[in-house]
Amino acid sequence: MTNLYFREIKSYWKSMIIWTVTLCGLVVMFLLMYPAFTKDVEATHRIMANLPVAVRAALDISLQNFFTIYGFFSYLLTFAALAGAVQAMNLGVGVISKEESGKTADFLLTKPISRTKIFASKIASIFSVILFTNVVFDLVSYVTARLMSEGGFDNRIFGLILLTFFLIQLLFLALGLLLSLLIPKIKSSIAVTLPAVFLFFVIGMLGSIIGNENVRYICPFKFFESNYIIDRGALELKYLLIEMIVVIIATILSYLIFIRKDIRAAA
Amino acid sequence: MIETKELTKFYGRAPGIIGVDLEVKAGEIFGFIGPNGAGKSTTIRTLLGLIRPTSGQAFIFGKDITKDGPEIREEVGYLPSEVFYYDDMRAIDLLKYSGSFYNKDQAKILRRIQQLAEYLNLDLKKKIDDLSYGNKKKVGIIQGLLHEPKLIILDEPTGGLDPLMQQRFFDLLREENKRGVTILFSSHILSEVQKLCSRVAIIRAGKIVKVEDMKTLAKDTHKRVKLEFSDKIDKEPLLKLSGVSDLIFEDKIVNFLYKGDVNALSTLIAGFKLTNLLIEEPDLEEIFMHYYQKDQK
Repeated sequence: MTNLYFREIKSYWKSMIIWTVTLCGLVVMFLLMYPAFTKDVEATHRIMANLPVAVRAALDISLQNFFTIYGFFSYLLTFAALAGAVQAMNLGVGVISKEESGKTADFLLTKPISRTKIFASKIASIFSVILFTNVVFDLVSYVTARLMSEGGFDNRIFGLILLTFFLIQLLFLALGLLLSLLIPKIKSSIAVTLPAVFLFFVIGMLGSIIGNENVRYICPFKFFESNYIIDRGALELKYLLIEMIVVIIATILSYLIFIRKDIRAAA
Repeated sequence: MIETKELTKFYGRAPGIIGVDLEVKAGEIFGFIGPNGAGKSTTIRTLLGLIRPTSGQAFIFGKDITKDGPEIREEVGYLPSEVFYYDDMRAIDLLKYSGSFYNKDQAKILRRIQQLAEYLNLDLKKKIDDLSYGNKKKVGIIQGLLHEPKLIILDEPTGGLDPLMQQRFFDLLREENKRGVTILFSSHILSEVQKLCSRVAIIRAGKIVKVEDMKTLAKDTHKRVKLEFSDKIDKEPLLKLSGVSDLIFEDKIVNFLYKGDVNALSTLIAGFKLTNLLIEEPDLEEIFMHYYQKDQK
């Protein structure tokens, strides 16, 4: 079982480093701009206030918190989360389907290892990749934000904001996994991932523009609003529950489909 | 060793195999022959747990394939017709990885890998991606044998191997068989099966048509004969020759199937004036037709 796990990790190693470095680079770059942004709050505030409400909504800018380090970080996290969702979903879609598209399923599944163990090892491997990405991302974000912010810094609020990044990745990981077992013959996982992630992103954006609260139920990007976290120092329980239910159901369903799946001859 | 009872697989509504009853005994080389799409691969893939039977049962080493798959596969070596491996790995890494799934002495497995690679003339340091089709096949052979399985399942394994390698591969299989290893060998090439197997099952359209000793089948073997006369065809002796069927005269060319004493045939042909002569194995389809006709009678 461990041999399969390490083989998987090895195959993800390069892309894991690239994703992590890119995500961290993005966050550091924007955080470095934070002092400049807040230097003349009045002027920036005026510019922002002059933007039409719809544009502000689309860009997810809320004036009340934008100039705090949390608000600023949350704002740039919406874009990091978009990238993070792509990374996670791509892993989820690919982890099982790559054996079929690479036609290596015959090799793996004729070894003396049960499908349950294959599934478990593979899930563990992609979860590890996400975990690694988050640990590094969180550390880098925390240290940079700490350095850039002046005055008080609430670890709990900042920690919760970082947690939303993990939760979004986790959800897309599970969705990707399920999708990969529902779609027959996936040739390239990124071709499934990109449209799916952007669809959710656009749904969320449209929801913000028209101000429809119900959109939040179907858009993982909107599960955890930063204003709520900043104001109350907590995640919205309702959405945390939805997230957990979706992740668990998607994983169980994927498992049940996988152990019953017919592996047809590669040709 | 292998026993299937009424093994059936439907792909949706399309039948893959229907009510397959097979018994492969310990220590034999069992041939499994039939045209493409007859259900050979479906049977084999079901045995290996790659696909789930719709109904019926199958046992390997007395264990149920749907329940004890991993345990069974510990002692099974499998080589498919087309091999695909992780392109980014070197041959040696892939083989070591393959070996790591077996609950066996890894040092012994490594020695076996090196031994087989030497015998098959394969450079283990090359990346899978850089290997030719034939060399990938060699990786496949080693991958199927490195853990010294008690049962070897081969699904049309010879494609991509040159005649010399094929010879070595067959020698290897015979050697394994001598040590008591059971072999299930599927093919659509009759001569291949004739060379190797002691018993053979013929499958067609998802059903087992016949299970027979190779010796009996060999006796039954027909030859497809084509004679091109330089002049007018001498019909008389051909019509008299026993064992001729499917006789067709066509201008200066004669076509027929011959079953019987080859000496009688060669003596006869020696008396003809020919411009061309062709004696070949009839293709599988013809043999099947022959069996079908027999069944109908």
